[in-house]
Amino acid sequence: MGRILALGILGTLACAQIAFAQGSITGTITTSAKGTAPVRVTIDQKVCGNELPDEAIVVDAQGRLASAVVILTGVKRAPADAVVTNEKCRFGPRVQLARPNATIRTTSKDPVLHTTQAQLENGRTIFNVALPVPGLNINKPIGAAGTVRLSCNTHPWMRGWMIVTDDAGAVSGADGRFTIDNVPPGTYELRVWHEALKGAPQKITVVAGKPTEINFQLK
Amino acid sequence: MQIILLTASLAVAAADGQQPTTIPEMWGAWCARCHAADGSGKIDEPTVNVEPMDFTDCKVTTAEPDADWERAIAKGGPGVGLSPQMPGFEDSVSGEQISAFVSHIRTFCKESEWPSGNANFPRPILTEKAFPENEFLILPAITHEREYQIKGVYERRLGKRSMFEIGVPIESGGVGDVDIAFKHAVHASGYRIVSFGLETALSRDTAVFEPFISAGTMLGNWYLQGQFKVELPVDRAKADRAVVYNAYLGRDTNAAPTTWTIGIELNGENHELDLTPQIRKGLTGTGALAASVGVMLPLNEREERGIRWVGYLLWEYLEPWRARK
Repeated sequence: MGRILALGILGTLACAQIAFAQGSITGTITTSAKGTAPVRVTIDQKVCGNELPDEAIVVDAQGRLASAVVILTGVKRAPADAVVTNEKCRFGPRVQLARPNATIRTTSKDPVLHTTQAQLENGRTIFNVALPVPGLNINKPIGAAGTVRLSCNTHPWMRGWMIVTDDAGAVSGADGRFTIDNVPPGTYELRVWHEALKGAPQKITVVAGKPTEINFQLK
Repeated sequence: MQIILLTASLAVAAADGQQPTTIPEMWGAWCARCHAADGSGKIDEPTVNVEPMDFTDCKVTTAEPDADWERAIAKGGPGVGLSPQMPGFEDSVSGEQISAFVSHIRTFCKESEWPSGNANFPRPILTEKAFPENEFLILPAITHEREYQIKGVYERRLGKRSMFEIGVPIESGGVGDVDIAFKHAVHASGYRIVSFGLETALSRDTAVFEPFISAGTMLGNWYLQGQFKVELPVDRAKADRAVVYNAYLGRDTNAAPTTWTIGIELNGENHELDLTPQIRKGLTGTGALAASVGVMLPLNEREERGIRWVGYLLWEYLEPWRARK
């Protein structure tokens, strides 16, 4: 019994040591670009409303940008599946990370026909499924790494994005902030992606035990 | 599981009076968003950038078999080589509902007498197909003595059930006898069709009139097609009368328009008999381009006649041969 307890304590210490040896990256993404004007809805207003925000550029008064993706090249993450929800005629989340060959679950909460069409940058369709009733869950494989655009054939303003990668990454929140945890110390390249804006990649050196701050300005 | 979920959802929604429960209601709530309530594909504010097919045009609505339509609904446009903007419904409605949607689409054609596309079977190499088509064909044939013939055939539908064709052969010795033909489907019901026709070979020596009957049906998953023709020369001193009979049995290897179709024909002219195993392949996602190749194996007089390679390249020139994005 005593040996087992000793082994448990040793194991816990070892894990703590590994966690302590990791660093993290955090920062803020900003832009001088203005947010996009709302979309006037002409169909299914009962469900969608008369106007919806165009979420192509979501920026606050301080210029902090949401829905930008920061990707840390060279640090791999375990596969994870992703969920896309059609709700009030918008894709939620607008932008997310997915792993190559992950299963994408698409669902709807709206009592109108939605479709989820996933396309690569070259226009090739990976899948396009109909979601005619709320509560339906449909699983489809997303395929290899790349940028996948989601659209709905019955509500043309609906847009979503999946950055399919096995690199670690994070999506900026409404306050423009992002965090990538559990990064081994070292020097990396950090790339940034946004559906409408561009920013240059940056080099970053991560040290153990504390967050490394880095900011991006997108144009 | 998904289908059960849909059924449950529909039941709940129906109780709220929100969701459609019948096929016409589902058409109105879902399909009409792109295809219009009347099936014409013409709507005021389209949400897709491809103009859908006009289902009120009977040529469109009747020409293809149920299986093609069902595949388009289940798999979406790419399932039949068409636009990926048409989503797949196989995860959200049942097979029975998909079949009912096909029946509903057929009702947008308001004219009677159009033969059902269920009798539009894959073309054999030698047996005249009973279903009228809009096709352009190139039919090569090479004998074991390396003599060749390449025949170009243009076919055009006339009205609901008729078809005109003209064929021009190029042979080892030059341009051969031009032939023109007309056929009319006298019986078409579900998976059965019978056509009468008249082919006329305009020979330099004498014209030859060739009345024929063609028929087709399904035996389970097998296509059975046949043709019987007599060749009647105007001047019997310059050409012989002949009786021609062909029978074909074949089946697809899958449901996609790009399927391989394997088949065998029994071909006879008077006492000469041949067996022609053959294979056909849809070359594009829509199946508008297709090719077939076969070998005619004589069953009698083998040494005199030898084997003959035959085939065709086919283009359904009114069909889209590839999808628009």
